[in-house]
Amino acid sequence: MSLATDFKRGIWKENAVFKLLLGLCPVLAVTTSAENGLGMGLATAFVLVCSNAVVALFRHLIPAKVRIPCFILIIASFVTVVQLVMEAYAYELFQALGIFIPLIVCNCLILGRAEAFASKHPVSHAVADGLGMGAGFTLVLFILGGIRELFGAGEFLGFSVFGAGYQPVILMILPPGAFITLGLLLALMNKVEKR
Amino acid sequence: MKEFARLLIALTLIAAISGGILAAVESVTREPIAEQRRLQMLRALSAVLPAFDNSPDSDTLTITTGSDRQGREVETVFYRGRNEEQLVGTAFRVVAPDGYSGNIAVMVGIRPDHRVHAIEILTHAETPGLGDKINEPWYKALFVDKALDRNDWRVKKDGGDFDQLTGATISARAVVGAVRTGLELYREHEDKIIAQGDNP
Repeated sequence: MSLATDFKRGIWKENAVFKLLLGLCPVLAVTTSAENGLGMGLATAFVLVCSNAVVALFRHLIPAKVRIPCFILIIASFVTVVQLVMEAYAYELFQALGIFIPLIVCNCLILGRAEAFASKHPVSHAVADGLGMGAGFTLVLFILGGIRELFGAGEFLGFSVFGAGYQPVILMILPPGAFITLGLLLALMNKVEKR
Repeated sequence: MKEFARLLIALTLIAAISGGILAAVESVTREPIAEQRRLQMLRALSAVLPAFDNSPDSDTLTITTGSDRQGREVETVFYRGRNEEQLVGTAFRVVAPDGYSGNIAVMVGIRPDHRVHAIEILTHAETPGLGDKINEPWYKALFVDKALDRNDWRVKKDGGDFDQLTGATISARAVVGAVRTGLELYREHEDKIIAQGDNP
């Protein structure tokens, strides 16, 4: 398996959201706008790449019996780093994402990759896997956020698209809008796959 | 026993390294974070106070103004805005515990004539599209120049002076209630707020 295959797998074939349906809590909760989706995706991707690298680096030293607490400790540390850095240098985004930043710790995508991939592969492959999974995750959050923002606020990345006369579909910003959009996207994915 | 020690050492080591890294990051980001919070506070203060030439975030007065449900004391910090040494307004944070979804924190600015100068919604989690209209400029403008004894501090639906929001009466009621509490607090503690005039 080459590094490129490890990277590409996360974007489409084993996309965290569309194929594995992992980490759905932030996917549904913060994608009220494209910007929030992108911010959350990048934060998660950063944690994923770092934790994958560290887990792979120490994979022979971490005893199997305590591997899960070790992984969680590593993940939680990187999440706290992201939280502090974001609060210091991207305060508005930090406030928009709120409680979902610390909750990256329990995003099962990250623990899942640490357990299923990083703990069994060398660092370079683990990083490639983290980058691919992270990119795939970010892409989905960005698309979902973009669609919801477009119909729910008539904007994209804060710029008005439909003009001032547009009556926003509030449902799209509310939690049901996330489920509906995700469901439609999944259906579309399956349709494309079947061809 | 030997294995137990091995597990213990591995976990302890990882925890110690993580702790060290976090301490380092925290010490680097501490100042920017404090600065961001201060800027945010100053933005809210400039929005609710008349033009001032001091720094209200250092001209403060902290008073114990009550207790919460657990019986702990609640302190309110009063920020005083001055222009040419003259008190032009006092701003402080009031929390409405009765929002539709969680607390609504409101910054109210009150002029020495006991009228509201402006209000600002600091944090809320009201429903997008309905309750979050409390954060729109036209809604916040409803409170400008209002006073305790000149207005009926209820929403129109309850017989008062303030527009409720269609589909979000609870949110509007909570904000009206919070601003009224603010005016009452100000009246109660006015002498102290004015008296300690020369506090740095």
